[in-house]
Amino acid sequence: MALLVAGLLAYAAVIGPFTAYMRDKPMEEKLGYVPSVKVMKSVSVDQKELAGASLVFKVLMYYGTLMGQAPKGTILKDPGDLQGMSRLLHGAVQLDPYNMDAYYFAQGILTWDAHQYQVANALLDYGMKYRNWDWFLPFFAGFNNAYFLKDYKKAAHYYDLAGDLSGEPLYKSLASRYMQESGQTDLAIAYLSGMVKTAKNDAVRKSYQLRLQAFLEVSRIEKARDRFARERGGMPASLEDLVRSGYLKPAPVDPYGGTFYLEPDGKVATTSKFAFGAKKK
Amino acid sequence: MLNMMRITLKGVFRDRVFQGIMALAVLFLFIPSAASLSMRQVTELSVTLSLSLISFILLLLSVFLGGTSLWRDIERRYTFGVLSLPLSRSSYILGRFLGLALFLVLVSVVLGVAACVAVNVASSLYPADRPVVWSFVALALVYATLKYILLVAVALLLSTVSTSFFLPVFGTICTFLASGISQQVYEYVHSAAAVQTVSPLFRQVVTAVYYLIPNLAGFDLKINAIYSVAPNPRGLALTACYFLAYTAILLAGSIFLFNRREMK
Repeated sequence: MALLVAGLLAYAAVIGPFTAYMRDKPMEEKLGYVPSVKVMKSVSVDQKELAGASLVFKVLMYYGTLMGQAPKGTILKDPGDLQGMSRLLHGAVQLDPYNMDAYYFAQGILTWDAHQYQVANALLDYGMKYRNWDWFLPFFAGFNNAYFLKDYKKAAHYYDLAGDLSGEPLYKSLASRYMQESGQTDLAIAYLSGMVKTAKNDAVRKSYQLRLQAFLEVSRIEKARDRFARERGGMPASLEDLVRSGYLKPAPVDPYGGTFYLEPDGKVATTSKFAFGAKKK
Repeated sequence: MLNMMRITLKGVFRDRVFQGIMALAVLFLFIPSAASLSMRQVTELSVTLSLSLISFILLLLSVFLGGTSLWRDIERRYTFGVLSLPLSRSSYILGRFLGLALFLVLVSVVLGVAACVAVNVASSLYPADRPVVWSFVALALVYATLKYILLVAVALLLSTVSTSFFLPVFGTICTFLASGISQQVYEYVHSAAAVQTVSPLFRQVVTAVYYLIPNLAGFDLKINAIYSVAPNPRGLALTACYFLAYTAILLAGSIFLFNRREMK
């Protein structure tokens, strides 16, 4: 009896600090070390799908914590351990090559955050071999090729495939639009709006919403710039010119904390490069 | 033999194993909410979790029931009493095996129904892009049950030569782990990449071990059930034949060894 009481008292004393210690562990430590996929494949025996799903959840929890750390209206300083997340997601699809969560999440972080477009596309190509009914994967690959890699021929091919698999004529029309480099911002907005609508996870939706917000601002600047050029017969010298002359009201705000500016050729850019933690110009 | 089977089944129920499983089955209630954490495959995740849980429970049952059944009989000197009756040793072993196999089938049916309810709830909350093919889920359950019945036969074989439960329990666990990687290892040593690094003798040893230990990877139809991918009918037929042949060999081995065992 005395032992039980002593045990309970000791437990009550230690559980608070222990929980706090576990909660405050550095996030990188939480993402942790994962043994090689070969080892995981062997150890997980007939639970490979569960092991794959658990890796995706590890990444998701980490990402959720990362996004949750930034209070509304403040800027997140760190894009997180992108390499670690990528490693875990690649591991997940080797354990379960059908795991859509892994492809979906990898598409988000590998392109917009890590700028690893070829890696993202290789992963999508790998997924297409297994999920041969899923239009989402060629849809992602089409977007990556057109928007990031400017490979319009490949983009059209993937959009064609997405159109065939989904039966959606929209993707067929996107295929033809991607054949030419025009209206890039509008296409990004269309893509991101779709992603926001279909996102189920709060952290993922928040990330896409933020990006969409940034592209809506870019679109507003582009429209103001074009109107300026049409009416004044020349490009504005700077973004401040647009604001000062009343073409752009209110002044644009980069949700990533950067500052928008016009490149010498008139292209809209931002010092944040649409990512958290990018070097300021 | 049928009496022995009935006694085995009764014994398992008397030990409250079924109640223990039902307590574990409470976890099925949490599957729909756990699966809803998925971003794009809630239904698929609910099938994954359900089948994984069933698989885990069946593994525990086959290892511990299969590995301790004979040992407990001998330890309690129950075997001596039974074998003094007009009952052959082979009927005793077969009765034990069939009783345990029947119990696994029963557990699979009950947990399978619970899994279907959990998956149904999850898919009604977040309808899947690709609807669940229930026949594939049923097939995955049937083959998982066959796999663990085969594992019970492994445990019984090890029990017939062992004087404690360590060899049957840990031997069965090791066989299960090895069965999951035997295909990978076999394919590696026969691949072009291994020609330079693997000696011919080692390759032959691996091949012999590959044929000796059970290959349980073929029984895993989770991918087919989770993602509604049609299984290969020829593969299913071959796996069923493999089950029958391998189990028959294990049982024949168990009977042979048990017949030669000295009971003191």
